[in-house]
Amino acid sequence: MFSFLNPGFLWALPLAGIPLLIHFLSKRRLPEIRFPTVTFLRQLEPREIRRLRLREILLLILRTLAILLIVCAFARPSIQPKDAAARAAAAVAVVLDDSESMGAMDEQGRPRIEGARERGLAIVDAARAGDEVAITTTTGPDAPLSNRSGDRVRLTRTVRQIGTTWLPGNMEQALERARRFLGRSSLRAHELYLISDFQATNFTRGAREKLALLSRAGTRVVVLPVVSSRVPNHAIEDLDPELRPGPQGKGLEMRARLVNHADAPSERLSVRARLGDALIGGGDVTLQPDESRWASLPIDWRAGAGAGAEIKGKAPVVVESDVDALPGDDRRFAVLGAPRRLRVLRVMESRAGEPASRFTALALDPGQDGSGGYLVETGTPASVLSLSRSRYDVILLEDIAALSSDAEGKLRAFLREGGGIVIALGPHADPDYYGHKLFPGVVDLALEGTEHAAEGQAFEIRARTPAHPILEGLSLTVGSPLTQSRLVALAKGRTTSPRAEVVVMTTGGLPVVVAAHQVSVFLGSLSDDWGDLPYSGAFVPLVRGLVDHAARTTSPESRDLSLVGRPPAAHLDAAPPGLVVVRGPDSYRSQATVASDGSGFLAVADTPAPTPGFYVFEAGEREAAVVAVNPDPIESDLKPVSMESLQAGSPDPPRAIVTVRSLRTHLRDMRQGRELWLLFLIGAALALAGELALASARAVGP
Amino acid sequence: MAKTSQRLLDPHFVSKLARLDLRARLVVDGFLTGLHKSPYHGFSVEFAEHRQYMPGDPLRHLDWKVLAKSDRKYLKQYEEETNLRATLLIDTSASMSYSSHGLSKLDYARQLAASLAYLMLRQKDAVGMYAFASGRGELIPPRSTPSHLRQLLVLLDRLEAAGGTDFASSLHALAERVKQRGLIVILSDLLDDPERIASAIHHFRHRKHEVLVFHVLDPQETSFQFEREATYIDLESGDRVTTRPQELRADYRTRVKGWMDKIREFCIEKQADYVAVSTGTPYDRALLEYLSKRARLL
Repeated sequence: MFSFLNPGFLWALPLAGIPLLIHFLSKRRLPEIRFPTVTFLRQLEPREIRRLRLREILLLILRTLAILLIVCAFARPSIQPKDAAARAAAAVAVVLDDSESMGAMDEQGRPRIEGARERGLAIVDAARAGDEVAITTTTGPDAPLSNRSGDRVRLTRTVRQIGTTWLPGNMEQALERARRFLGRSSLRAHELYLISDFQATNFTRGAREKLALLSRAGTRVVVLPVVSSRVPNHAIEDLDPELRPGPQGKGLEMRARLVNHADAPSERLSVRARLGDALIGGGDVTLQPDESRWASLPIDWRAGAGAGAEIKGKAPVVVESDVDALPGDDRRFAVLGAPRRLRVLRVMESRAGEPASRFTALALDPGQDGSGGYLVETGTPASVLSLSRSRYDVILLEDIAALSSDAEGKLRAFLREGGGIVIALGPHADPDYYGHKLFPGVVDLALEGTEHAAEGQAFEIRARTPAHPILEGLSLTVGSPLTQSRLVALAKGRTTSPRAEVVVMTTGGLPVVVAAHQVSVFLGSLSDDWGDLPYSGAFVPLVRGLVDHAARTTSPESRDLSLVGRPPAAHLDAAPPGLVVVRGPDSYRSQATVASDGSGFLAVADTPAPTPGFYVFEAGEREAAVVAVNPDPIESDLKPVSMESLQAGSPDPPRAIVTVRSLRTHLRDMRQGRELWLLFLIGAALALAGELALASARAVGP
Repeated sequence: MAKTSQRLLDPHFVSKLARLDLRARLVVDGFLTGLHKSPYHGFSVEFAEHRQYMPGDPLRHLDWKVLAKSDRKYLKQYEEETNLRATLLIDTSASMSYSSHGLSKLDYARQLAASLAYLMLRQKDAVGMYAFASGRGELIPPRSTPSHLRQLLVLLDRLEAAGGTDFASSLHALAERVKQRGLIVILSDLLDDPERIASAIHHFRHRKHEVLVFHVLDPQETSFQFEREATYIDLESGDRVTTRPQELRADYRTRVKGWMDKIREFCIEKQADYVAVSTGTPYDRALLEYLSKRARLL
């Protein structure tokens, strides 16, 4: 339906008569010229008069039309959408992404959340009296922030108060809240506005399905990307809470996992570690595009102590890198433990006529003094009977045919107590025993005999998960060859669940290295029975990686327990004397619930940690533990999901609107109808152009 | 000298002078001064008067006695018997009153006729005059006496443009009246049907007259350089046409040119000389045309 939003201007319509008036007035006031003869003029006139009159009429029409269109443009003509429901009151759900990534800055240093708020306010501004508007965030509470409110002031306040959180966005839950709100509304017209940076990591399959579901239910879905392209960002994803001896056992190293979410290399990224105000270490790291790897940073532990910090067992350390688009992930907190040596029980079988392999022992402890970070003790399968968590951190089974039932029981108990197991197979290992007896309950891996490479050939092995901690000491990309060594035989294995992760595999698809919780499995031989691996450069890092992985997952400072949005948890060695209180940054204070966890006590705060930082567990006025809480690194990858993928497969695909101006136009069109003033002005301009062309064509005559 | 002669041939300069006879003399003197060869070709046996020698005059007419006595160069002039009888036909229809820049077509024709008459009489040719408009005409028969010039100038002086042009009828009537063959000089804007004009010229030619047509037009009549839309009123018929000049200009010019070409073709066909003169054109062109024609006749 056609209407005018400023009908007052229509009073100016009589102005359109001006050209007509001028025309007639000019006709009346024509000068008279006496001329010798008008014979020639009269001869010409009948032929020309029609053309002239036609042109005159055309000029008149164009001038009148131009004035009419200009007047109408000022009166703001609009046309209502064909869909009558669009003009009726609508239930409007606004999902506003407030996850950590929305704090990323653009080139002008403006965080994305500001653009998101601007869009949210535009939607609220356009709300009409009968509309029901609900606003929810992607990290917000389970209920919409503002439900069924037509109160524009309240809605505006709500939008203005939305800021970025340290939490990862949960788009699926937010869309589900929006769906529930729209489902409850009695209004027929449903609209969903999704304001986000559309991080690909945030848009899970579930989120896409929810979006499609809403679209199929007749909801008009509008997606409002705050940014449309990928923004480079690097991040400190993880820190190893344990300091390790440096190269050749000299000094200490801290390991930081760095990632470069960019298409270009990140040259000489400066990483610094601080203990309080004291700089205790750091270095420059260069990352390739999309590379994620562990970097070792030299640490001067005494520098922290010299600064007055009391370093006895553990110390809170902050690691920072150069600040980029998303500052939140350029800092990470860790409670570093004093360097410790992993106690490894290396189990081998002595076989007649065969010298005992010493490759792994040399790889872990070349000086046999523990300076490499490993204290290696070599034993036989019988030694497993004396295995205990108090004596060893990791057990390495190297080409053991089979274990006795008692030894197997001890091994499982060791695993339950938090010990790590490294299993290396070999020509003497019984695949049937491992596949059917030892592996169930330890690692989800099935074995089906031994696979030999073709005569004179070797397996080609490739990294499948290059960033896996087992491969930490190796600079690899997906599919890059692990080593130049020749592996001629492998135990033929197959993972049976996602809990067992294939880290390295052959080009034929055979797993070579499999990782599970507290368990590392090497399906080849760590001696030279099945190839020349021990002589290759990959051997030492691989053996250490296998052991470190098995040992690391036993750490109580597991990442799962120390993310923002989850309650801080600490492992306590002894039962606390009384109530445990947790204190954190930004005046955080919470009580903690303490429960036994087998090897000690686990204290879990009652309130989730809202911000990253150090959280101190106090029991009876004494500091019982300190834990570091960090944001989820999933928010670091700012790569957006493609709009096409969101729009695909939907009968009424979501409309993507990029700029705030376009959004305002869209909202105005939806609420008030589509404004046509610009079209009218263009029409007036065209009419004037036509008039000019016609007039100049007339004047150009000889 | 050349500058002065050019000035004397400029219609607008001449039109500012008071007396017609003075104007005529100035024009002719200016014109003759610019010529290298004297146009006089008549002969006679009876001495009439002396006149000062002008460069280009044949030395055979120099009065040697006077030169010997007074050291001044005088030519002897004789009472010639002319063999040319010219009649100047002047169109006085209302359309001749048109002027776009101060000098009307009639003024131009009047001045040109006076100059021609003066020139002719100085050559001892007999000059007559016929001023005509629709339904009226006044004829002065050709004579060659110097005093005849005054009579012609008096007629020219009181000419007024009025009435329509029945060009052909007037000329046919005159053709019947002028029995003795001679030169017919027509000064008109020829605003009549070209066929009828041709018929009238043919009539003169039939009577063995030589015909010289000066087609007098105002520059605006050929260029039609008006800018504004206006109502154009016919000076003769009073017809009105309202139009935009810029719209019609090109077609108008084409049509006028076609009309002039048609008259020219008719004139050529009838063996009459046709000279189109604008009221901005200097008189020398017309005078030269006349002399050229006279040279061919004698």
